[in-house]
Amino acid sequence: MKKQFLKAGLLGLLVAGFLTQTTWAQSDPTGKRRVTSTYAITNATVFTSPGQAGTKATVVFKDGVISGIGSGVQIPKEAKIITGDSLFVYPGFIDGAGNMGVTKPKDPERPKDFVSSNPPDEIAGITPWRSATEQFSVSGSQVDDWRKTGFTISQIIPDGGMIPGKAAIMVLGDGNSTNLIQTNSALAANFRGSRGMYPATAAGVMAKFRDVYLNSSLALEHEKLFASTSGVKRPQITPTQSGMAAVVQKQIPVLFTASSDLEIRRAIALQKELGFKLVLSGLENYETVIDLLKASGTPVLIKLQVTDDKAIKAQKAEGVTEDTKAQYARVKEAYETALKQAAMLEKAGIPFAFSTVDAKPGDALKTVQTLIKNGLSEKAALAALTTNPASIMGISRVAGTIEKGKMANLVISTDTIFKEDAQIKHVVADGYVFDYEVKKKAANGNGKTEGNLNGSVEGVWEYTSETPAGSSGGQIVLKRDNGVLSGTISYDDPAGSGKVTSPIKNASVNGKTLSFDFDVAAGGMNLTVTITGEINGTSMEGSLSVPQMGSFPVKATLSSPSLSN
Amino acid sequence: MKRILKTFCASLLALLPVVAMAQIDGEFVKPRSGKFLLKNATVVTVTKGTLTNASVLLENGKISQVGPNITAADAEVIDCTGMFIYPGMIDGGTRLGLVEVSSVPETVDYAEIGNVTPNMQALTTVNPNSEAIGVTRVSGVTTVLTVPSGGLFPGTAALINLNGYTPDQMYGGFKAVAMTFPSSGRRGRFDRRSEEDIKKDAEKALKEANDIWENAKSYLELKKSGAELSYYPEMEQLSKVIAGELPLLIEVNAASDIQNAIKWVQGKNIKVIFTGVAEGWRVADEIAKSGIPVVTGPVQELPTRQSDRYDAAYSNAGKMAKAGVKIALRTDEEENVRNLPFHAAFAAAYGLGKEEALKAVTINPAEIFGIADQYGSVEAGKRANLIVSTGDPFETRSQILHVFIDGYRIPMSNRHIRLYQEFLERSPGLKSN
Amino acid sequence: MKKLHFILAAFLGLGLNTVQAQAPKGSVLIKNATVLTVTKGNLENSDVLVQDGVIKQIGKNITAPSGVQTIDATGKYLMPGIIDAHSHVALDVVNEASSPITSEVRMKDVVNPFEIGIYRALAGGVTVSHAMHGSANVVGGQNATLKHRWGAKDPADIIMHDAPRTIKFALGENPTRVHGRGNGIQPRTRMGVEAVLRNGFSEAMQYKKAWETYNAAKAQKGNTITPPSYNERLQTLADILDGKIIIHCHSYRADEIYMLINVAKDFNIKKLVFQHTNEGFKVAPEIAEYTMGASVFADWWAYKMEVYYSTAYNAAILQRNGAITSINSDSAELIRHLYHEAAKTQRYGGLTDDEALAMITINPAKQLGIDDKVGSIEVGKQADLVIFDTHPLSSYAVPQMTFVDGVKYFDIKTDKDDQRLMVSATEMVEPIFLRANEEAHRCMQDVDAYFEAFQGAFLEEKH
Repeated sequence: MKKQFLKAGLLGLLVAGFLTQTTWAQSDPTGKRRVTSTYAITNATVFTSPGQAGTKATVVFKDGVISGIGSGVQIPKEAKIITGDSLFVYPGFIDGAGNMGVTKPKDPERPKDFVSSNPPDEIAGITPWRSATEQFSVSGSQVDDWRKTGFTISQIIPDGGMIPGKAAIMVLGDGNSTNLIQTNSALAANFRGSRGMYPATAAGVMAKFRDVYLNSSLALEHEKLFASTSGVKRPQITPTQSGMAAVVQKQIPVLFTASSDLEIRRAIALQKELGFKLVLSGLENYETVIDLLKASGTPVLIKLQVTDDKAIKAQKAEGVTEDTKAQYARVKEAYETALKQAAMLEKAGIPFAFSTVDAKPGDALKTVQTLIKNGLSEKAALAALTTNPASIMGISRVAGTIEKGKMANLVISTDTIFKEDAQIKHVVADGYVFDYEVKKKAANGNGKTEGNLNGSVEGVWEYTSETPAGSSGGQIVLKRDNGVLSGTISYDDPAGSGKVTSPIKNASVNGKTLSFDFDVAAGGMNLTVTITGEINGTSMEGSLSVPQMGSFPVKATLSSPSLSN
Repeated sequence: MKRILKTFCASLLALLPVVAMAQIDGEFVKPRSGKFLLKNATVVTVTKGTLTNASVLLENGKISQVGPNITAADAEVIDCTGMFIYPGMIDGGTRLGLVEVSSVPETVDYAEIGNVTPNMQALTTVNPNSEAIGVTRVSGVTTVLTVPSGGLFPGTAALINLNGYTPDQMYGGFKAVAMTFPSSGRRGRFDRRSEEDIKKDAEKALKEANDIWENAKSYLELKKSGAELSYYPEMEQLSKVIAGELPLLIEVNAASDIQNAIKWVQGKNIKVIFTGVAEGWRVADEIAKSGIPVVTGPVQELPTRQSDRYDAAYSNAGKMAKAGVKIALRTDEEENVRNLPFHAAFAAAYGLGKEEALKAVTINPAEIFGIADQYGSVEAGKRANLIVSTGDPFETRSQILHVFIDGYRIPMSNRHIRLYQEFLERSPGLKSN
Repeated sequence: MKKLHFILAAFLGLGLNTVQAQAPKGSVLIKNATVLTVTKGNLENSDVLVQDGVIKQIGKNITAPSGVQTIDATGKYLMPGIIDAHSHVALDVVNEASSPITSEVRMKDVVNPFEIGIYRALAGGVTVSHAMHGSANVVGGQNATLKHRWGAKDPADIIMHDAPRTIKFALGENPTRVHGRGNGIQPRTRMGVEAVLRNGFSEAMQYKKAWETYNAAKAQKGNTITPPSYNERLQTLADILDGKIIIHCHSYRADEIYMLINVAKDFNIKKLVFQHTNEGFKVAPEIAEYTMGASVFADWWAYKMEVYYSTAYNAAILQRNGAITSINSDSAELIRHLYHEAAKTQRYGGLTDDEALAMITINPAKQLGIDDKVGSIEVGKQADLVIFDTHPLSSYAVPQMTFVDGVKYFDIKTDKDDQRLMVSATEMVEPIFLRANEEAHRCMQDVDAYFEAFQGAFLEEKH
């Protein structure tokens, strides 16, 4: 019955959506209806997709679809113009899993004959037939908070128990629209037990998940037999079983919330046992399972939140015992590792996206900046916000990049998006333009500029590093072309004697910090080595990190500064 | 089955001298007083060295003589050739006699309602017929401090000898008021308070303790000045601590709490004994400097912190002793106080050393409790609390053959042993005929 | 259809075995030790050679093959790795306390290799532990037999994959308190406990039959028999009936022990071990005759009514009556000195050294069905070994080194103090756990959390 309701509801929504799109405009005594649905952002710096350099272009979109992009693109007469000269345009961000705008459904009443050892599915938190669409409202303030930080699409997961229901992909557009891109995009699941009834613990949840999954498979078998053979008793498919059908038939993935490494392993173990499609969501501590994630090919959505630094900040430098110092050191190490996890995913070649569940919208961009400071490339960061979630959710055809024909979902900022003082001025979602207040920059000369580099990093650096294999060193040559930092680095040949030189990748300067990667061929493998360091005048101190081996100190001096400066 | 029985009988025969005397001692069913001469033993006096081929004469509840060639024509002679005599062991902190079956609230009598109940007397509720007493004393533990617990001042602890039919017969001549020092530690796995909350709670509790203390001081001052005070048994008892008539047993475990407790005690001019002191090793020098004696344990215990070396609890007593802290041991047990010698063995193996470990369950607690004239060593004039064993009583393979408490020869039996006797070879056996 | 059956088959038989990882195996030569083989007597001044995790040679004057490290154990004692047949170390969840039968629950799902208790157990010479479901239910979950490969990050790396399946049962006070008194469902009495067992096994027989009928019919043309619903709870009980799983039953009183023996007889169940078994001594002949014995505490008693009439001589009486007897911990603290717990059988019943040592090595190995692999020092067995400074049954014994599969995981001299594998990045102050011993017993862990939804903690932690 549930299912029928759901169907009717959706049909209604679709019909309503269809009507609003095709109905001729009429009077609007509120005066709020927009005059046009065509816009042009003119002469802005446009980053069409991750890894692409910004180019000056005009972006035109109409009825929620990008209709033109380029420097010479025709601007329709009905277009409302947004002057983009000083602005930077990016594809709208996509949230791989979110619960913004979701209202928790009321707990169903317990029946009189309730037995805690065998509760009805609905009470035990097993409600795969439910849809996030029933719980979602785009008009909530949470939705606007996230949109304000650049998010234009979110895969909404319903609230509930171990199997709360189906996720739905929503565009964070106008309050009067349905905003639905895809219903039943995934089945949400987690290891949360039910309070005071079966299954109460993660162990019970795993057993129950197997039970639900396998019986849903059997129910389909039964249905098939009923359809093909006479004399077969009528199948009594439960709402749970029909809710699970798309998962069992591998049409949609299970979006498993698994924050720790052990939970991740448990979800992957279940997946291996049962064979469903799996997407992991809400990852927080996953440093120890990166190899497993890679090997299993599981798409991952990491939590858009960096580890709380309250404990790190509370560490006192003086007046503490040796005990406390040792404890501090372990916590610090854990903290630093936690911040590097996203970069490790990138290094491992695992395309990941973010989940906004439990994250704070106000900290979102700062979070991404922190990840970048800790080794994540800007390209990978942008991919995690755009193309990766689009591909994980199977909506790359309509979202993730700025291309003609794709949905008009854009982020428009006052500076390149990952700069600390970049501010988001407009967000376009579903072709609707949302304007946000831009705060005046802090007066020049105080605070921010002080931390920045005075001189240039360009030139030849002599460096030395200390590794377990001994002391070694070489030259780093850096130059800037069209604002892009590149160069080479020489080092002792790991395969023999002498020096080899590799090109530098992902070089960037952030404040006083220089960081770049380079590849070293060793023993048939390519290792990506990262150097980050703080520059003071013509010297730099920092670390060289090698995957699976650790970080080692590195020092460098600028021996011959570039003359071009 | 037959073969099993055969091998069984054979092995039983091999063990006969030990088993027959130690475990299947059906000679007498109640403690007997009298004059006993324990002949030709190795006597580990604890305070006066170890005497070989020595004898001990017990009469009138006292040790009357220790040495070679003692004769006493009217004494019951127990040949102890090849055996060892030790002082009875003292457990510095237990709930023995205060609880029978810990999951049955009706039998649990160590925690009264109220935060300030120093007037609650452990001695009142000691059950002389507790099964655990019989089980404990045959292990060589003859004397224990039994301590109420629960609130800030949970009650007054009492030293008891494990023989007697009334609490007064068992009373060992030492009492002290127990205090649970406000703790900044987590109470365990299920304590989910935040760090800040734990700290705040501890500060609040300490302030409360200070207020109560000030109240008791006022009570004492007014009383001294001859004021007629209304009935206030809690303050009456606490004021005895302030007046120096009763020592204060401060249960304190976390390092920072121990430091706070040392500060708290300073200037109070009272007799203090720290108990528990699980993290004593972290602040051993400070405890030593304070001169406060410590009753520590259990030794067989987990470390308090995940990062600690695995043997933190085992080695705690040794580290404190090395720093100069006066150490006695406790099990903090109820039904398994009999494990005191094994706790001592662990402390010995992990740094305390055998000699110090033996002291920590004999003369040290006696000295800490101020009863060393009566307890803690095999010396003439002391109470006849001693044990005869086949070897080192800390070793499980040693058997305790005889136990004397207050000069009474204790029957080497209890329910555990009686069940052994009945069921070792059950009748009927497998078949019902 | 085929696929589904593949899935079901994978489930019924193999479980997690399919994701088995390669555990590290070491080589080492331990020289000049007093070797306590447990099964083949004691060898003075002898050497044990381990290669690739297996004991290759035992004797005198063995020379180390090239590349194999030699450890001089002169004056020291070498014994087999200690096996704890009852533990809850390294489990994130202990009790799925929500139903009187939860045989579908698997402890292998919730193994936590980061728990410090593993290292602490190694420091007590324990190389294998039986990580059990708790005692809240008449039929609890399936247990995991673990090898203490400290440092492994994948739970699969500490699971002993070649150990047979075992399951937790529980009789008496715990299940009747949780379900009868707590939830108002059967069992509230020991009568009810028996009924739950008999009902469960009888249903399992029906279940098994339904699947057999379906499987026989499904290939036939025009078959109209539809698949029965899948029920791992009943399937697991059916596996017990088929002898595929060893029952480890939490039990205290003689009457309930005797009851389960009768139930087992009626259902032709042979693989049965009793756990705790405080009153096992009263029915020792029956336990010896029909079961795989009892795994008991050395001296625990009186903490609850059903252990009030027990005796520390329990292990000795069971042993002398011919029951396979082991000494277990059920505690994160006791597991650290099982050698000492076993030694108490010498105080209480005068057992011989070999008998006492067998109670923490070969006997628990038998009860876990792994005695062909571990539990004694014999050529061909897995090289789980402990070196002690003195005889392990001495109260002063201190374990020096512990090896699992020939790999050293504990060394008293070289190990650093802080052994935590995981540290929280948000930890302000390291938590201090006082009176940890009370928390060390986890038989009823997770039960209180389960009951928070009702009237709070009327359930105290009891074994």
